[in-house]
Amino acid sequence: MNQTITFTQALQDAMAEEMRRDPKVFLLGEDIRLSVFGQTAGLVKEFGKERVLNTPIAENAITGVTIGAAMNGHRPVLELMFCDFTMLAMDQICNQLGQWRYITGNQYNLPVVIRTTVGGGFRMGYGHSQSLESQMQQAPGLVLVEPSNPYDAKGLLKTAIRSDDPVIFFEPRKIILGGIEGEVPEEEYTIPFGEAAIRKEGKDATVVAFGFMVYEAMNAAEELAKENINIEVIDPRTIVPLDKDTIFESVEKTGRLITVEEGRIRGGLGAEIAAIACNDYFSILKAPVQRVAAPMVPIPGSPVLEDFYLPNKDTIIRAVKRTL
Amino acid sequence: MTLSNETILALYRKMLVVRNLEETHGKFLQEGKIQLMPHFGTGQEAVSIGVTGPLQQKDILFGTHRGVGEYVGKGMTTKDIWAEYLGKQTGLCKGKGTMHLCDPNLNIPGLVSSLGSDFSYAVGTALSSKMNKSDQVTLFFVGEGTCNQGDAGPAMCMAALWKCPVVFAICTNEFCELSYKSEHIPTEDVAPRAAGYGIPYDIVDGQDIETTYTATEKAISHARSSKGPYVVEYKTFRMALHYAGDPGGYVKSEDVEKWSKRDPIDICREKLLDRGVLTNDQDQKLVSEVQAEVNMTAKEAMADPDPVQSDLFKDVYANKGVF
Repeated sequence: MNQTITFTQALQDAMAEEMRRDPKVFLLGEDIRLSVFGQTAGLVKEFGKERVLNTPIAENAITGVTIGAAMNGHRPVLELMFCDFTMLAMDQICNQLGQWRYITGNQYNLPVVIRTTVGGGFRMGYGHSQSLESQMQQAPGLVLVEPSNPYDAKGLLKTAIRSDDPVIFFEPRKIILGGIEGEVPEEEYTIPFGEAAIRKEGKDATVVAFGFMVYEAMNAAEELAKENINIEVIDPRTIVPLDKDTIFESVEKTGRLITVEEGRIRGGLGAEIAAIACNDYFSILKAPVQRVAAPMVPIPGSPVLEDFYLPNKDTIIRAVKRTL
Repeated sequence: MTLSNETILALYRKMLVVRNLEETHGKFLQEGKIQLMPHFGTGQEAVSIGVTGPLQQKDILFGTHRGVGEYVGKGMTTKDIWAEYLGKQTGLCKGKGTMHLCDPNLNIPGLVSSLGSDFSYAVGTALSSKMNKSDQVTLFFVGEGTCNQGDAGPAMCMAALWKCPVVFAICTNEFCELSYKSEHIPTEDVAPRAAGYGIPYDIVDGQDIETTYTATEKAISHARSSKGPYVVEYKTFRMALHYAGDPGGYVKSEDVEKWSKRDPIDICREKLLDRGVLTNDQDQKLVSEVQAEVNMTAKEAMADPDPVQSDLFKDVYANKGVF
């Protein structure tokens, strides 16, 4: 039996189920009891204030509290409301969290999940709209997850909470605030890290799109189909580990690769995938890899300018055509 | 408050181990026998050994980069320290942490690389102990310079808000890296900052082991009895430079002269001699015994195997290699 629920509900269901299953799991973050975007709203009723802990506004320190709790055997799930604010906690996330297992010689697991929202389009300006996933690619030891639908959100968040590795879990705001729904089985399930989903099969070009960009890629696919161009759309679901095999197998078929992300282009997710393609299977590429991403400018507050900034269906279509 | 003679003698021995191990480390560095660049805590042994003295094994300790004092104090062996400091496969962290000593059996979760990042870890471990309804206490040992880090405030704020069983033990050694504390801190004392969060605090002499021990014991028992956090500041003097190879030249000779008259090891030795717990001969024997232990364990550790190339890729993730 399947039920249709929103992305936000899927996240909440994952957290509630894991908290019922494991008393060591608890939630913390700024105003998570009321919850600005709703993912944790109301959970305090079932789990109490101790396990749904509102924190002061101090991102680096609350991330550190999370690390400390994990050192002592808890499995904390921290919310950093906007990914822009993860930058305030980068010492903890990039210097410490992902490296602790290694530098302690595998003596300390840090089973921490940090949930954060990404993406623009809501006219929230330069510091509440960014997609900064690529900033964390450089840190060893982290798992980076970005689901695009309720099924993946629930299954991947449950896996993240059970993971003995630290996970940064990116939740696209356009999917949350857009109220996007999807089918989710009533029975329990989890989704392993490192397995991409092929959203649409196609033979002409491979489009690898992350998070909300999956929807823009699907819209692009629909329009391109009218011109008899059939693209394959791959949703990696996890940024680290990246399902390189699925991308390779697709490019082996199409010979063309286009990456799509909402974050900025320089050193972005696409840059990494393009580098892998050039290193590992340059000879099968029939055209240069194209990267669709945001330009290297701050996100302007003006609605008109923000729309120019964000990658979309049209920029994807143009990029696909450049490869043909 | 006075401690039993046996306790003082045991603490004295630990101070000797710390002083001797650090001196030996300095010698090895000059001889090219070790590559780890150390930060020594010479002159602060009564603080590092005094603050860890009253801790139980189950209690959690966050130590500092400055020497081996608190690690020896919590029970780490000289062999374990040498093996890790030398980057050996047999080290506690398999040679990957070196200065960042860590031992879950002693409840030492490790040492951060950025000073003060762990202020909040201590709140996290203490919050976890509280959620576990355990009477485990976390002791966060830190220098006064690091108290300027951004997380010091929110950590104390949360510890007070949530009544976490944590003791913030501040070792004020007059120096913040390569400068006098007066260039970093506008007040004489750091501990009164605790009052801003409603946390009780004490400021005590850091040279007398009985004082440092009993002040910490009081703070720990406050935290252990669910009364929330406590801050203790210990006044001492760093006789070593910030690191081996530090350009130096910033320490006033009159300060060194003044503080060397109050060396913590000398103070403790005189106390033991006065009380008839120790004779001069026994003391000499003890010093030689400690020196032999430090040298012997160093020799053992040096003979231990180095890590191999494949170890570079191990323990990044729980089950897999490198993503």
